[in-house]
Amino acid sequence: MPTVEFQGKSFTIDEDGFIDDYKNWSQEWVQYVKKEEGIDELNEEHQNVIKVLREYYEKNGIAPMVRVLSKVTGFKLKHIYELFPSGPGKGACKMAGLPKPTGCV
Amino acid sequence: MAFVSSGYNPKEPMKDRITDIGPKHFEEFYPPVIKNNKGKWLYHEILEPGVLVHVSETGDEVYTVRAGGCRLMSIEHIREICEIADKHCNGYLRFTTRNNIEFMVDSKSKVKPLVDDLMSRKQPGGCYKFPVGGTGAGITNIVHTQGWIHCHTPATDASGPVKATMDVLFDDFRTMRLPAHVRVSLACCLNMCGAVHCSDIAILGYHRKPPLLDHEYLDKMCEVPLAIAACPTAAIKPSKVTLPSGVEVKSVAVNNDRCMFCGNCYTMCPSMPLADTEGDGIVIMAGGKVSNRLSAPKFSKVVVAFLPNEAPRWPQTTAVIKKIVEAYAKGANKYERVGEWAERIGWERFFEKCEIEFTHHLIDDFRDPAYFTWRQTTQFKF
Repeated sequence: MPTVEFQGKSFTIDEDGFIDDYKNWSQEWVQYVKKEEGIDELNEEHQNVIKVLREYYEKNGIAPMVRVLSKVTGFKLKHIYELFPSGPGKGACKMAGLPKPTGCV
Repeated sequence: MAFVSSGYNPKEPMKDRITDIGPKHFEEFYPPVIKNNKGKWLYHEILEPGVLVHVSETGDEVYTVRAGGCRLMSIEHIREICEIADKHCNGYLRFTTRNNIEFMVDSKSKVKPLVDDLMSRKQPGGCYKFPVGGTGAGITNIVHTQGWIHCHTPATDASGPVKATMDVLFDDFRTMRLPAHVRVSLACCLNMCGAVHCSDIAILGYHRKPPLLDHEYLDKMCEVPLAIAACPTAAIKPSKVTLPSGVEVKSVAVNNDRCMFCGNCYTMCPSMPLADTEGDGIVIMAGGKVSNRLSAPKFSKVVVAFLPNEAPRWPQTTAVIKKIVEAYAKGANKYERVGEWAERIGWERFFEKCEIEFTHHLIDDFRDPAYFTWRQTTQFKF
């Protein structure tokens, strides 16, 4: 799997740009994905989504359903798309360091 | 070729972004005769295999010539389809729900040149590019899936077996000699994308070995609870595994005695692959239908538990399908679909007529509803 260097850190990623291991996540990874996803500025709301995703994953071992993410963060799906143009899966989960979504996507 | 921009600016991905515009409205592409007579059709006839005529209350007629399509097409091929449409149909054409191509003309005199043109076009290898047919009580195109061309969960190929099968059944694409139409479908795994669960004859990719577990990566790649919940027989449970390196990782354990090789866990978890050259193969199902004509819609039923993958021509698979079609053509009454025929004569006779061996694999053993598929009557034939 390819490796990327960013702000002095190196991350192993797959062909879709997801991190190899949840545990290798760091704030530098967030900055790297921000650049890759074309997000202008990270605000509190981005960080809130990432925090919710990581806490949910740590507790349950899965990414939350979109409805759960909406309910816990208080952001409607439309707003999540405004924050992460690629959407909750490809954008937010990638930035939070969660495994790549699977199934018939 | 070097990079050529479409005008999209990756630095500002949301700038000038057009979204949620949906497909084009179909009326933009109506041939004039269709547009003028929409909702006014009186009746239709099949003039010959592959050629239909619809007559409108205004007196207008539209002649449709249906040609087989390979579904997986190059742009060159589509351009050739456009060229034919430009030449004969003022640039209009359509594709059917079984991926055939329909060319429409507004007078009878234009039909023969179109059919002759279509039948004269061949691939360099000798195949018809646009064989005319697929109407009435024959065998039309095979609804199929990705296979080894593009998907990551297949147990067999799609395009390959479909080509092999259509070659064997080609005469029935060009004629209408059967009691009713026979729908053949293929899905390359039991996700059953498409129509295999409701087709007269269905070809289905099937595994025979449990998944391999890549413990080192499983917890990193997968959301373990999803893999557990993906299993219809609850064969998967969470476990802790010590790797050869001495590190303890979270993973899953598979109870191989409960696994029936559906592959759902691999869909959810990339660290549980199960494709296998010798293990994988094809299941044949028969007797499904979606229409409400005479009898209610039916699911197709498994009639051959396993046939090996034999690329590139799948001879055993095509031989079984040919046998079913011939037995059905000989035995069924007019208008009777394969499923109706099998239910009328009894499935024990179906296996006898089609010369298919009945094995214990065909007896349903999935949960409570399996009971209803067993015979709770003394009515049977020796």
